Amino acid sequence: MRAATRRVGILVAALAVCGGMVGCSTTASVVKGATLFTAVATPKPQPTAAVQVPIRGTGLDQQVPIAVAPVRFRIESLGVDMTVAPVGLTSTGSMELPPDPANAGWYQYGSWPASAAGATVIAAHVDSLYYDIGPLAKLPQATAGTEIIVTTADGKDNRYVVQNEGMVTKPDVPWGQVFDRTGQPRLTIVTCGGEFDYTRRTYLDNVVVTALPEG
Amino acid sequence: MRKTLVAGIAAGALIALAGALPAHAADGDAQLSVFHAVPGVTVDVYVNDKLTIDDFTPGSMAGPLDLAAGKYTVAITKSDATDASAPIIGPIDLTLEAGKDYTAVANLGADGKPTANLFTNDISVLPAGQGRLTVRHVAAAPAVDVLAGGSPVITGLTNPNEKVLNLPAGVVSASVAATGTTDPVIGPADVNVADGVNTIVYAWGSLTDKTLALAIQTIPGLNSDPGSIPAGSAGLVATNKPFDSAGLWVGASVIALLSAAALTVFAVRRRAQARR
Repeated sequence: MRAATRRVGILVAALAVCGGMVGCSTTASVVKGATLFTAVATPKPQPTAAVQVPIRGTGLDQQVPIAVAPVRFRIESLGVDMTVAPVGLTSTGSMELPPDPANAGWYQYGSWPASAAGATVIAAHVDSLYYDIGPLAKLPQATAGTEIIVTTADGKDNRYVVQNEGMVTKPDVPWGQVFDRTGQPRLTIVTCGGEFDYTRRTYLDNVVVTALPEG
Repeated sequence: MRKTLVAGIAAGALIALAGALPAHAADGDAQLSVFHAVPGVTVDVYVNDKLTIDDFTPGSMAGPLDLAAGKYTVAITKSDATDASAPIIGPIDLTLEAGKDYTAVANLGADGKPTANLFTNDISVLPAGQGRLTVRHVAAAPAVDVLAGGSPVITGLTNPNEKVLNLPAGVVSASVAATGTTDPVIGPADVNVADGVNTIVYAWGSLTDKTLALAIQTIPGLNSDPGSIPAGSAGLVATNKPFDSAGLWVGASVIALLSAAALTVFAVRRRAQARR
């Protein structure tokens, strides 16, 4: 019994490790205990492994898949229809955005709609003195249940339903969660809003909308 | 009783899978993966005399196993062995430190004889926008160069050594050539040096037996994220804008603000034109 307990302990550890991985086997090795009964006639049976260690191939297909970029973003109920371009970082480490608020940016180093896990992050300026007010000025109206469609470069329409929408004071935005690459695949739309600091020329809040895949 | 335990564990595993467990679990443990890079032989792996990996085929990666820090004795036997007493590789002692990530590789030495090597994987956090490329030579072959897009990025890499590069994230067309040459013996292959991931590429097999190949192992979760999204600079939709007063009064301050804004627009346009 003590041996069995230990074996289970190892198994739990192995499965816990497995939890962080994608596509690994969770078959419990205890099933193999059945061979103990059939092996009675054999003088010296081959042992069975104490733990089912996840095993995978090492071919090029084991790489992190190459992203299929979002190219268009729509909230039809609000009349929002924007192009989406892949963006990276500014020199100060913030997410880069297309200068024109009519265009959105997708954080190209994070998840994308076909990713197995994590948040696809799409953001746009809410306004600009040069270009005027952008479509995402309507983002605070994207309340729970609103449909969002993200078209990817392969022509696929990925449909999402808004779960929650909120304004968050900038220092309090949990950026680690916004850009999270683990957990359920989801869409996070970000722009600015709330009160404006006319001296620093910056909004005090971010508008953050989280949506989950439809169906 | 046993069934109940198994079901319980399976449920636990599902929760873990769904709940976004961090890639690197308990801080006090070490992570160990095992890569079988000896062509043509299926093996068993014994850890501390216990069969841990059964019928392990060439080109497979096992793990990662979450192990308490300490010393482990690893022996690799033929797959029909009944115990660890007659290993074909080892036994070797692996000393694993807490919080570190390792890959033990069973491979051919430069001389073509089976051997084993323990590599420590670099799991330090990467700056946002960067990926890590680790290249390991575990093949029965002389020194090699690694070419990216046809130009050498790593030169004179010998068995059993590695080279680690932090690169801007992106896809690299990688090939391996005898050192000082550019004629590929492996590849070219598209390798995705993904942001926040240590992409480990192994050159394994044997040059004389024509079994040279690339193998890939990835360690995700090393990413940094942007620290903010400054997504507006005009205040045109601000909830505190002075224009909100229903147009009943146009104070001098508002006129001043408007003209300031107009001047800024003018200046921005001028700057934009100057740039063109």
